[in-house]
Amino acid sequence: MQDVSGSTSPTTIPVSLRTLLGLIGPTFRRHWLRLLGGFIALVVVDFLQLIIPRFVKTAVDSLTAQTASQPQLLQLSTMILLCALMVAILRFSWRYLIIGFSRILEQKLRDRFFEHLLRMDQPFFERWTIGDLMAHNSNDMATVQMACGMGLVATVDALVMSTAALGFMMAISVKLTLIALLPMPVLIICTRVLSGRLHHRFNLVQEQFSLLTEFARATLVSVRLIKAYTLERLQENRFSELGEKYVRLNLKVATVQGLLFPVATLVGNVGMLLLLYFGGILVIKGDITIGSFVAFVSYLYMLIWPMMAVGWVANIFQRGVTSLRRINRVLTQEPIVVQPPFQPLPKKEQYTYTCQKLSFQYSEATHRALDGIDLTIGPGLVGMTGRTGSGKSTLCKILLRMYPVKDSMLFFQGVDVNDLSQEDIRNNIAYVGQEPVVFADTIAANISFGRPEATMDEIQAAAKAAAIDTDIAQFSGGYKAVIGERGVKLSGGQRQRLALARALLCDRPLLIIDDALSAIDVETEQQVLQGILAKMEGKSVLLISHRVNVLRHADRIVLLDAGKIVDQGQHQDLLANPFYRIMVEKQRNDA
Amino acid sequence: MHNFGYSEEGQDGSLSDIRLWRRVWQYCHSHVFALFGAVLLSLVVTLASLGLPRLMQMGIDQYIVHAGLEQGTRISGLGRVAFWYGLCVGLIFLATFVQVVLLEWIGQSIMHRLRQNLFTHLLTLDLGFFHSQPAGRLVTRLTNDIQNMHEMFTSVMVTLFNDGLKLVGIFWFLYMMNWHLALVMTIFIPLAVLLTVIFSRFARVQFRAIRSQLAKINSFLAEALAGIGVIQAFGGEGRSRNTLAALNQEYMRRTFGQIKVFGAFMPLIELMGSMAVALIIWYGGGEVMQEQLTIGELAAFIFYMRLFFQPLRELSQKYSIVQSAMASAERIFQTLDAKTSLHIVPGFDQKQFQALRNQGKIDFQDVHFAYEKGKPILSEINLHITPGETLALVGSTGAGKSTLISLLSRFYDPVSGQILVDGVDVRQVPLATLRQRVGIIMQDIFILPDTVRANIILDQADEPDRLEHILEQTGLHSFIDRLPQGLDSRIGEGALNLSLGEKQLLSFVRALYRDPTILVLDEATASIDTESENMLEQAIEAGFKGRTSLVIAHRLSTIRRADRIVVMDHGKIIEQGSHDELMATDTLYRSLVRLDGQEE
Repeated sequence: MQDVSGSTSPTTIPVSLRTLLGLIGPTFRRHWLRLLGGFIALVVVDFLQLIIPRFVKTAVDSLTAQTASQPQLLQLSTMILLCALMVAILRFSWRYLIIGFSRILEQKLRDRFFEHLLRMDQPFFERWTIGDLMAHNSNDMATVQMACGMGLVATVDALVMSTAALGFMMAISVKLTLIALLPMPVLIICTRVLSGRLHHRFNLVQEQFSLLTEFARATLVSVRLIKAYTLERLQENRFSELGEKYVRLNLKVATVQGLLFPVATLVGNVGMLLLLYFGGILVIKGDITIGSFVAFVSYLYMLIWPMMAVGWVANIFQRGVTSLRRINRVLTQEPIVVQPPFQPLPKKEQYTYTCQKLSFQYSEATHRALDGIDLTIGPGLVGMTGRTGSGKSTLCKILLRMYPVKDSMLFFQGVDVNDLSQEDIRNNIAYVGQEPVVFADTIAANISFGRPEATMDEIQAAAKAAAIDTDIAQFSGGYKAVIGERGVKLSGGQRQRLALARALLCDRPLLIIDDALSAIDVETEQQVLQGILAKMEGKSVLLISHRVNVLRHADRIVLLDAGKIVDQGQHQDLLANPFYRIMVEKQRNDA
Repeated sequence: MHNFGYSEEGQDGSLSDIRLWRRVWQYCHSHVFALFGAVLLSLVVTLASLGLPRLMQMGIDQYIVHAGLEQGTRISGLGRVAFWYGLCVGLIFLATFVQVVLLEWIGQSIMHRLRQNLFTHLLTLDLGFFHSQPAGRLVTRLTNDIQNMHEMFTSVMVTLFNDGLKLVGIFWFLYMMNWHLALVMTIFIPLAVLLTVIFSRFARVQFRAIRSQLAKINSFLAEALAGIGVIQAFGGEGRSRNTLAALNQEYMRRTFGQIKVFGAFMPLIELMGSMAVALIIWYGGGEVMQEQLTIGELAAFIFYMRLFFQPLRELSQKYSIVQSAMASAERIFQTLDAKTSLHIVPGFDQKQFQALRNQGKIDFQDVHFAYEKGKPILSEINLHITPGETLALVGSTGAGKSTLISLLSRFYDPVSGQILVDGVDVRQVPLATLRQRVGIIMQDIFILPDTVRANIILDQADEPDRLEHILEQTGLHSFIDRLPQGLDSRIGEGALNLSLGEKQLLSFVRALYRDPTILVLDEATASIDTESENMLEQAIEAGFKGRTSLVIAHRLSTIRRADRIVVMDHGKIIEQGSHDELMATDTLYRSLVRLDGQEE
């Protein structure tokens, strides 16, 4: 049933474009009316814009032919103004409709992305770093939005504008059109190549900028150590090297940037030059009117933007598809832990969690992290100790169902965990991790995280049991004080006790504490321990610690080494074990 | 995305602060020739761009529609105009390219220097300064604030200059051709300025609203992902999802605000452009009929007005960038003006100090210390440590132990009293000399992303034999041997991660390699693995030999090794003596030891 080794690596098979479009297609379909309205507005704008030069042409021609009159000119001007007004209104409309659509799409995609992440298990979070996921959330979402907003607009706009402008130009003179367009392909190629290169170089600059930032941060955070070892000069030199490289990379960007924009101007101007000379000759020969010539100039101006857009749009779409592919890769991941259908959890008086020859290996590892663990956690306090890397934290996470296990290895209430739903198991476990997690919220909200409906009295009681109540009383705002950068900063010990209060408030049958009392000082430690024991009377506690004074309260101490249980028993029994003995002596007053 | 510059708590800089401009100018001083070159190029680009419509107009009037001339003459004349036109086109291209690169170079060089100055300056400041300024904010000074100023230098200053020049040029040409029509066109200047100012105000507000909301989403997401285990363990998925959905909804709402502002501004500028064309046709056409204006000039008016409206779209954005750049400049210069409070008092005799090299006597004489008035951290500290003595500092968190050793290394100066090292007031000794003599091993460690060897040697001379000797003597060889490539193993970001215990061992070797007379150890509070702890103990034994040592001790084994134990509470020394002496009477020390539950 459970395939433990079969975790898919982040480098997956290429996904077809159709699958990717399936990701955003439904949003397109749901908002088709909005999109249709937007594009109609866009097309109408393009045509109105093309008509304005026609009025100019008429005016110039009649002025040249000296047939113009004031009322005619006034009429033409009014027409131009009316068209322009329509253009303004419709432009606002398409922007609102189409760009708005792309924002809606972004919102839907982000919601879905986060919803998906919340379902993922630990193996997933080992393959994807938080940094990666954050980048997907901001950069990739932004590129997809860009492609579906401005990218779409530019494509349609460029398509309509260029065909229409070309049509009008052709109507005036096919020959002249061809001549004036001669340099245009250069522009398309240049923008395509240069904007791709610009993007690449710009990324390099961004990376260097992060290096610079990180270096400055690391230095300033440890300024005390830098000073203690008089490393100021060394750091200055390193910073300078990073800075110089940053300057060099920026100059590389500038050379591309310095080409990209002038190239557009250049191509436009060369087209204008060809028009001036060859178009001029056509007028002189009487092939076209001067009015047509002036209108032609306007049309040519209108073509420059679509031509630039072609290269630009191609890059935007390319990036959009890449981003969508990255997002898709995350969205297609499934947690390996969950496998329906599930049995209901049998209700019993006492809760037991049993490992039978439990073995576990991380996907990348060469050794088993856990190797044949036989252990029953029933009512009472089980202490656990062992050196770093002996498998203690792994066991905790497996008990919490964060990693998959094979069948017939782990039983909750006598039922194989693979036949139970994750929620049913987790709802019975309270957990305090090695690195206590606190959220940027109020103290009260942090404590009541597992039971948001808890009353203030209950919260205070939990805080008292975790011996953090006096600390909280000292914060300005007390339980309402917000934790975080702008609020209260907690010490390591306070964070641990806060996390403990959260676990105690949940009042669940099994409490797992993964070395989470390490930063609490000796005086408070005993107080905290008493709090736990009082609260967990008749329930089960798994307590991992390095401190003998904590372990000695356990009904049973389990000694773990290299993923195996090497010894277990009460404090007195274990004194025979050399490892445990050394630990005790180390921490003991030998007087 | 439109960038309106980084901003801190919505601060805007004043554009009229001459003092600020003068300081900015000081940094540009050394690049005055390059800047002059950039201005020259600016003139070339502007003149050439403005020349184009003029040439077009000349081509039309003098040759294309000049029916009086022979056809051949008209065509060859047109050829000459086309030649000049082509020349201008080439010139614009070249000059723009050179200008962009040149400006980037100037801007980057200046910013690099400013950044380096700021970094160097920050490192000279005392810890009191860092106490009052969060590191994140200082990093921002070095990165975003500098970036802001750079933005202003390259994209803004010059385009503002270019565009301003262009504007003047356009209207100069217009007035030359026909002052009636030019006067009519002039009404667009105040209109455009008004529209731009209004828009830039709106756009800035919208932009900030979006940015701050995205920041909220990001920080929420980062937190949720970091705490995903807890969220899942406590069943908080639903609430987290709702919180993000709400943040996301608000984000979308704000982006719609931005769409509306941009959606209104861009078409309005276009509309003005079309109004200009309509006016030219109507009023200018009338002028043509009265033969006050030629057809070519009419066309030129249309082209020039197009040039006039072109830069307006970006102007508002640039105005905002200059504003935030000035705010950044102000913050940067403020930081540069911060002075260290640790002045070297004259009267120090290097030779005399060197002569006392082997001593290591420390005297605290009636030392008081506080970060803020009325909140004493240390008071009435009188402590005399003889050369070679090992002293353990004991007390609960906040008792003032760390502050005491910070004063010894002179991270701060005491409010009153004196600290003497070998009879010399630490305020008289150059900081580098003092810190070479006082070796500190702290709980945290600064790791250079480099080899273990480089991390030990740091700024000292590379003497492999001496390092070998130290490793031998302290038994830390076994620590180094545990690492995959021994001394050449790379550690730090992206390389090998050391455990807490290993870090402290490395710290120890590092300190000993500097051969300090006085060794200060802030023992790790958190539990470290037994193996490292054994090694550390052995190293302490060897390292303390022949040195004056001060230990902030948490382990009883360390405390018991000390010659003297000093118990601190609430910033005061309350007890001192040997372990046995202190255990014999009813002391705070005894109760601390008892609490540790160590009596069997």
